Amino acid sequence: MSFQLAMFYIFSAILVGAAAAMITVRNPVHAALCLVLAFFTSAALWIMMEAEFLGIVLVLVYVGAVMVLFLFVVMMLDVNIARLREGFIRFLPVGALVAAAMAVVMIMVVGARHFRIEPPAPAATDVGNTEMLGRLIYTEYVYPFELAAVILLVAIVAAITLTLRRRPGTRHIDPAEQVKVKREDRIRIVKMEAEKK
Amino acid sequence: MTESLMTFWNELPVLIQILVKIVALLLPLMGTVAYYTLAERKIIGYMQVRLGPNRVGPRGALQPIADALKLVFKEIIIPSNASRLLFLSAPVLAFAPALAAWAVVPFDDGMVLADINAGLLYILALTSLGVYGVIIAGWASNSKYALLGAMRSAAQIVSYEIAMGFALVGVLMASGSLNLGEIVNAQGGGFWNWFIVWLFPLFLVYVISGVAETNRSPFDVVEGESEIVAGFHVEYSGMAFAVFFLAEYANMILISALTALLFLGGWLSPLQGILPDAAFSLPVIGWLLDSGIHWLLIKTAFFMFAFLWYRATFPRYRYDQIMRLGWKVLIPVTIVWIFVEGVLVALKIGPWSA
Amino acid sequence: MITLSHYLVLGAILFSLSVAGVFLNRKNAIVLLMCVELMLLAVNMNFIAFSHYSGDPAGQVFVFFILTVAAAEAAIGLAILVLLFRNRRTINVQDLDEMKG
Repeated sequence: MSFQLAMFYIFSAILVGAAAAMITVRNPVHAALCLVLAFFTSAALWIMMEAEFLGIVLVLVYVGAVMVLFLFVVMMLDVNIARLREGFIRFLPVGALVAAAMAVVMIMVVGARHFRIEPPAPAATDVGNTEMLGRLIYTEYVYPFELAAVILLVAIVAAITLTLRRRPGTRHIDPAEQVKVKREDRIRIVKMEAEKK
Repeated sequence: MTESLMTFWNELPVLIQILVKIVALLLPLMGTVAYYTLAERKIIGYMQVRLGPNRVGPRGALQPIADALKLVFKEIIIPSNASRLLFLSAPVLAFAPALAAWAVVPFDDGMVLADINAGLLYILALTSLGVYGVIIAGWASNSKYALLGAMRSAAQIVSYEIAMGFALVGVLMASGSLNLGEIVNAQGGGFWNWFIVWLFPLFLVYVISGVAETNRSPFDVVEGESEIVAGFHVEYSGMAFAVFFLAEYANMILISALTALLFLGGWLSPLQGILPDAAFSLPVIGWLLDSGIHWLLIKTAFFMFAFLWYRATFPRYRYDQIMRLGWKVLIPVTIVWIFVEGVLVALKIGPWSA
Repeated sequence: MITLSHYLVLGAILFSLSVAGVFLNRKNAIVLLMCVELMLLAVNMNFIAFSHYSGDPAGQVFVFFILTVAAAEAAIGLAILVLLFRNRRTINVQDLDEMKG
């Protein structure tokens, strides 16, 4: 077994273990952390496939931002875990059966002889993965790229409008006004005669 | 002698070579962290007209060792109902990225542990991982102060990462590379080519968000002694606390080194292009004047000092002010300046004339 | 030697696991969202594997777009969840039965 194959099996074992743990653990916080582990190991697998840009971006965007958001929400919401777990046992056989059937069928397809392709020789060009992707995105795929940017913008606007609420009762101070404060607005120096004894 | 050493080195297995390099990088780093804590107490002491630690060793020089010994021998208390595994793994999760990021930091031309193409992305990704240590510590402690600190930290770090990322986008637009060594070399020729000149607003944004990312004062609402006791690490004691502490200082040194590399020409000498070439070929002085690792160390040390300086100077920001600064000030500044830079690059003005 | 089918089988297992996750956690909206993320990860794994083994970087461009859309989806999904919790004090999918007709 080559070193690469050993690494592949180690990472895949961690990945599948993390995914299995994610769907079965009781606590949503633990589930989110398992998903973080799954993302991290897949990033490692992607880097093994010479997709280092996407691997690092997966860590940067998903592990570094999206999952932090998930954890933030999970920790903030005071949910009743017991109620959410109702039906877990009841649906376990059905879920396991459907998943196993799907897995078997898909593995029969993709495990077939046609897909046992050897990996190509490592690219000998000095153009890195990042540069190659950049060239593709900004030439051939520039229109989809702009669309993706618009989708992100829509998501920003939607997320903010959904969660924004104005609470009239809060004692909010505008920082700009605070910064503008001069000494004269706050203190008054009074000259007084010294009193005689 | 040197040759036999070189052949011996080359015959070692690659794994051993890498391990030796890692140790050679981390040992000085840990030493710097230890004495950085002493420097912090001394410098802030002098700024506040007091002496700082002065009992252990000459002028307090052995204070970090005494602190470390004390922390090693203290008991690690695990709060009841805390999640044990997460509680103990949180300091490691905070510490590991702070060290791993150093792998791609070059100290001189070619003097780098891993010379990867996407170095800047790698650093951004790893620095964004540090937040997990804080969040998990806050949650696993099963304490409301710790959880408040963790929530504040999550929001703060995610917000400032955007501004930081945009500042780095400006740098990589200017240098045309993600490799830190190439970024430094793109600033060669004289100090007027350093990116701080043309990207000054981005430099300011980077420094400010760097302070916020490391949860240092004035952005230390995460720890905020007077508000939430000590934030995410209230429940930690002994070595587990020390590891958080080490991570924070290692991150500060990392941010300082990165600022020096990305905006101040890293190991490049500021005298480049001013002195005639003959000056650089003088015996010892020539080496000192020429580019080299010592310039990087000097620049890094300046920013490390600046971290302490901010702490002694500024009062702590309020939480809503932090969010306002990050979202409404820093991010618009970076977007505007990236636009300006794009126009400059397109019109071939300034350092992009070639 | 790692062949293409190694990665494809891994992707298939991941996808099936996330489908099982949708079945098992059908009440918890947050875990449902996470299962969707895992599904997209499995799909991305296949895209990258095909891209690598056929030497065509277009697959990686696709992954780039999927990542973008998935990030947008996660942000909006979490925003809706927060809003839901604020108004109804629950994230149980079964409690969301107000809309009739």
